[in-house]
Amino acid sequence: MGAFFALGIFQGAVYGLLAVGIVLVYKAKRVFNFAQGEFGGVAAFAAFYLVVNLGLPYWVGIVGGLAAAVAMGLTVERVIVRPLESASRTIMLVALVGVALFTIAIIVLLGQPIPRVMPPLMAGTGLNILGAGILPQQLILLAVLAVLAAAMAWFFKTDLGLAVLASSQDTRAAQVVGISPVAISRLVWGMAALLGGIAGLLYAPVGIFTPGFMTLTMLVPAFAAAVLGGMTSLPGAFLGGIAIGVVQNLGIYLLGQQLKVPGAAELGVFALLMLVLLIRPQGLLGKEA
Amino acid sequence: MALLEVENLRAGYGSVPVLHGVDLAVEEGSNAVLLGLNGAGKSTTLMTLAGLLPVTGGEIRYDGAVLKGSPGARVRQGIVLVPEGRHVFPALTVKQNLRLGAWTIRRDAARVKENLREVSAIFPRLDERADQLAGTLSGGEQQMLAIGRGMMSSPRLLLIDEASLGLSPKLTEQVFAAVKLINERGTTVLMVEQNAGVLAQADTAFVMQQGRITVSGSGADTLNDDAVRAAYLGA
Repeated sequence: MGAFFALGIFQGAVYGLLAVGIVLVYKAKRVFNFAQGEFGGVAAFAAFYLVVNLGLPYWVGIVGGLAAAVAMGLTVERVIVRPLESASRTIMLVALVGVALFTIAIIVLLGQPIPRVMPPLMAGTGLNILGAGILPQQLILLAVLAVLAAAMAWFFKTDLGLAVLASSQDTRAAQVVGISPVAISRLVWGMAALLGGIAGLLYAPVGIFTPGFMTLTMLVPAFAAAVLGGMTSLPGAFLGGIAIGVVQNLGIYLLGQQLKVPGAAELGVFALLMLVLLIRPQGLLGKEA
Repeated sequence: MALLEVENLRAGYGSVPVLHGVDLAVEEGSNAVLLGLNGAGKSTTLMTLAGLLPVTGGEIRYDGAVLKGSPGARVRQGIVLVPEGRHVFPALTVKQNLRLGAWTIRRDAARVKENLREVSAIFPRLDERADQLAGTLSGGEQQMLAIGRGMMSSPRLLLIDEASLGLSPKLTEQVFAAVKLINERGTTVLMVEQNAGVLAQADTAFVMQQGRITVSGSGADTLNDDAVRAAYLGA
C-alpha cells in the first residue's frame, strides 16, 4: 500500500503542475483552458525530435521544447483567445478544445501515431521509497514542482503579478492606471504554456508517450485537481493534484486489487471530488463559493 | 497656452456618435468643471481624453502637441482618469490598489514612496484601511481610494468622473475638499459633475448638453447663470 501511496504522489505532481497552469489562466482570464495539456504535448514532441531524431544534447531538447510550448501559447493567445475576448465563455471553451484536437492532429501528421520513449533526464535505477521504485526523473519532477509553486506564490506579490490579478478583477481600471490588457494577456498565456511545457517534458520520459498523451491521460485529472483546490488557488491546485494522484492509486490498490472493482482509479477520483464539493463547495483552498 | 485644448471633438461608441464638436480649454494649474445631465456626453469626453475611446473628428492638444496613443502612454504623459463608479480593484488591498496606481512609475521607488506619503496626507482614512480589501470599503472610501490611486502616478492633469455619485452631501463635501487640496498642490483638475455645488471651487466651468458645450465661463459666473441655476439647482 505504501508503494501505491508513493506512486500517487509522483503522478499527482504532474496533475498539479498542469493544474497550476489551468488555474493561472482561469484566475487571470476566467477561461477554462482545454489546450493546457497540449502545451506539454508540443514540448515533449519537440524535445524528442531534437534529442532523439537529431541527436542534439538534452539541454537543447529542453530549451527547444519549452520554446515550442511558449510559441504555441503566444500563437493561441493571438489567433484564438484575443479575437474571442468578448465572445461567450462557452465559445472560448469549445475553441480551446479545438486547439487541443488540432494540435494533436498536427503532431500525428508530422510524426507518426506510434508510441515513443523519451530518454530520462537523469539515468539511474529507481530508489526504493515506501516499497515503490521511484525513478530519479520523478524526484526531479517533485523538486521542479516545489520550486515552481514557490515561484508562482512570489510572482503574485510582485507588481507584475498584482497587475495580472488587477486586470482580471477590473479590466477598465487596469487600463486606467496604465496596464496594457494585451501585454497581460500575452504574459499569462506565455506563462501557462511554459508550465504546461515543463509538465510535458517531465512526464514524457516516465513511460511511453503517444500523440495526445497529455490531453487524454492528464487533462481531466488536472482539471479535477484545479477544481478540488478551489479553481483560483495556485497552492490549492498543487495540493489538489497530489490528492488526486494519491486517491487514484489508493483506489487501484484498495478497490481494484483487494475488492476487484473495475475502474477503481476513476471511482476514487470522482468520490473524492464529490466529497470535497459537497463539504467545501469552494474547494480546498478556494476563497469563495 | 492652455495645458489641454479640445477643438471640435467628435467621438462616441462604435457607430453611435455622442460628442458633436466639443470645444474646451483647461489652463495649467486650474480646477475646471464639466457640468451636465445624464447622457450629455461628459463621461464620453473624459474617456476620449484618457484614450479609452477613439477620436472620430476634431483634435485634442495637450501641452502643445496633438494627443494620441494608448491609455497607458497617456498615463505616462500625466493624463490620469478617475473613472465613474470608482473601479477600484475589489479583491486587492488598499495598499495594493495604490501600488498599482503607480504602475507607470514603478521603477522609481523614491517617487512612489513620495506619492504614497502625499496620498496618505490627503486621505488619512486610506492609511487606516491599508490592509483591507478595497471591495469591503464604503462608497466614500472607495472614491477616496480611486482618487488616491490616480494621484500615485504623479499626474499633471487629473480627470475625475462624477466623484460625488452616490455619496451623501457630507461625504461629497469631503471629496470635493480633497480635490481642491490636490489642485492647490499643483495638479490641474478637470472634474465631471452633475452636482452644481462643485462650481464654487471651480476656476472654469463648462456646461454640456447633447454632446456640445453650451455655456462656458468662470465657476462663479456659471453658478449665477439663470439657465444653469434652473437646470442644476432647481432655482
